[in-house]
Amino acid sequence: MPSNPLPANISRLGGCTLTGALSVTSHIHETVTIIHGPKGCAHHNASLLHAICLDDDRMVMPSLISTALGESEIIFGGEEALRSTIRHAAGQNIRAVFVLSTCIVDTIGDDTCAVCAEEYGIPVISIPTAGFLGGSFQDGMNNALMALADIPAQCPHTGGINLIGEMNLEYEVRENSKEITRLLSLLGLSVNLHFVHDITFSQLSRLGAARLNILRSPSLIPVGEYLRDRFGTPFIPSFPHGLSDTIAFLEQVAASCGIDGCPAIASEKVRQDEMLVVGTGLNRQPVVLDRAHTGDDDLRAAEELVMRLGLFPSSGGTGLRLPVGSAIGTAGTRRMLRRWRRAIHA
Amino acid sequence: MPECDNPLWPCAMTGAASCLAGFDGVTVVIHGSSGCYYYPTTLLHAPLEGTFILEKEIIFGSEDRLREVIGNLSGSGKCIAVITTCVPAILGEDIRSLLEDQDVLLVDSPGFSGDIETGYAKALAMLAPSVDPATPGVNIDGVCLFDPFYAGNVLETKRLCAMASVSVGTIFSKDLLERVHHAASYTLETNGDFASGVGQSLGGMLGFDQIRSSFTRIDEAIEGSDCGPVFAELDAQEERVVQACDKFLHRYDPPSAAIFAGCSYARFAAETLECYLDAEICCIGTRNVKGDSPLPMVEATSLSKVQDLIQSHKPDLVVGSSFERSVYGNAAFVGLIPPLRGKVRLYPTPLAGINGTLSFIEQVLNACIDRIP
Repeated sequence: MPSNPLPANISRLGGCTLTGALSVTSHIHETVTIIHGPKGCAHHNASLLHAICLDDDRMVMPSLISTALGESEIIFGGEEALRSTIRHAAGQNIRAVFVLSTCIVDTIGDDTCAVCAEEYGIPVISIPTAGFLGGSFQDGMNNALMALADIPAQCPHTGGINLIGEMNLEYEVRENSKEITRLLSLLGLSVNLHFVHDITFSQLSRLGAARLNILRSPSLIPVGEYLRDRFGTPFIPSFPHGLSDTIAFLEQVAASCGIDGCPAIASEKVRQDEMLVVGTGLNRQPVVLDRAHTGDDDLRAAEELVMRLGLFPSSGGTGLRLPVGSAIGTAGTRRMLRRWRRAIHA
Repeated sequence: MPECDNPLWPCAMTGAASCLAGFDGVTVVIHGSSGCYYYPTTLLHAPLEGTFILEKEIIFGSEDRLREVIGNLSGSGKCIAVITTCVPAILGEDIRSLLEDQDVLLVDSPGFSGDIETGYAKALAMLAPSVDPATPGVNIDGVCLFDPFYAGNVLETKRLCAMASVSVGTIFSKDLLERVHHAASYTLETNGDFASGVGQSLGGMLGFDQIRSSFTRIDEAIEGSDCGPVFAELDAQEERVVQACDKFLHRYDPPSAAIFAGCSYARFAAETLECYLDAEICCIGTRNVKGDSPLPMVEATSLSKVQDLIQSHKPDLVVGSSFERSVYGNAAFVGLIPPLRGKVRLYPTPLAGINGTLSFIEQVLNACIDRIP
């Protein structure tokens, strides 16, 4: 394991704003994303998205175009290169162009918004994403979602639910989406729009039609508030993590939609109890939760699972190391439990 | 048209990191944002450090931050190499004088200054490699952490050198730092796209013809060498390749091949396929600037260019990266350059040396046979 001691200041490790925005725009079909900067920035991200595509055989490699700034554009300005690239992109058979800026173009002072505001025949949407100058990965994602929220007009609420800010670079993004869809179906509800995961540009028009927005994580609350202000849609701040949180989630959605959630909650509790039978056999030795890069929500879900299974947490830090993973809903918790059973063997 | 869709090749900053991170005794610091740090770190699987600069350092200067990071890293006895990314490179800070009083190497290799080869060459030049006449044997050249075959190339070249009773000098760039200044007088190239220019080149290690010529020169140049065992193995293994390819041609037509790689690997693939399979090389898309070659080379650094070439030539076989694999249609595919994603690779497979050619031909034949209905 290479050692790369990272600085204590966690704000330095928030990732690239550009990548965050790209994780959103690359999931809208019929569009092109322009990355205004050197080719390297686009390559880094194309390579990342390519890897994601290979893990997800339903995803199509998105079209990213770099303005490919070289030394002369860095010295004399890159606005003309951007203009020319937008014209080239707009000439393709697409519905919209997204323009993402990079650290270097904000540093040299290119007026990306002004160039995007010119007439190209199709919508050209500038999303402020100046790499680390613009904030973190999450800021880029939020900026992109809020820029997209400005596109559709108001429309009447139709009863469906929007899933907001699904983590498109997450390995199990589809499984998490499927689990939330399943939980909603227990309440007789369906998904109105995945904002944004694997959608077409025209589907964005449905954004305002939902009766409730469910955010992927609390870091998207600014987006939830923006959508509430724009469309009057209330929101729940996070997908559920772990067993009891899943039950609470069902209660919360039912209350928000004015539905009797009791039958759904009862059937989900039975499902969870059945799942816990799989975990019997683990309680033979002390266990240590190996959280690696997971968040506090997933750690809490794992701790709850340890308790529900009657396992013995090790006090000295030694024992069977159990990996803590994404535990969205009952299904996510079940996958974590399967990995724990695997940990017994190797 | 300056723009480039889905650029397929890394930038100069990544190239500099891929060179310096190969030397044991160097601590590499990426002076830039976390976004610039993460890519080379994940690509090279090497321990890199970063300054992870923030907006305030762009406004008020990044010198203090750089000094802080270097201060934390100093005392390990390792040389610290700082690679500048795009933004710090244009801030106008005098980083060089800031680092004057410290044992720090500054490599000014921002992404906008070129592609990976540019940064690699610049970083290696900053290390000022030199020949030590007292060092016997041959250097192994063209070894870059970015190359998925680098580890296999080193092992295979060492194996052949051992067979010829020739010691190995410095490996550029995967060696102890102090050996950079004690290179042998002669060099064998495993990938000409990352040539060091150190020592007198005795030739390449890609393909049987190159290997034969190179070891003939070794026989002449290096006292005490005995290349007979290498020539014997070359003859035996080439015969196996001929038989396997001949058997394939008994039943099937030769493939038409589209090859995408850096010039050096592309040339190897094309010449090997022509020689042993009588393949038609319908196009060669190079990631870097093409050198002089009678082969039909064009630059292909964007996904759309790759797609155009594959669609217009409709090859039976595509050789390239997993980018090519994503647009290759129903052709057979063999991986030659990064990224090679979507496939587990644990064994250090070579492309150079005798085993490199065997491995390449084996993959080509299996891919072509698997494709045939």
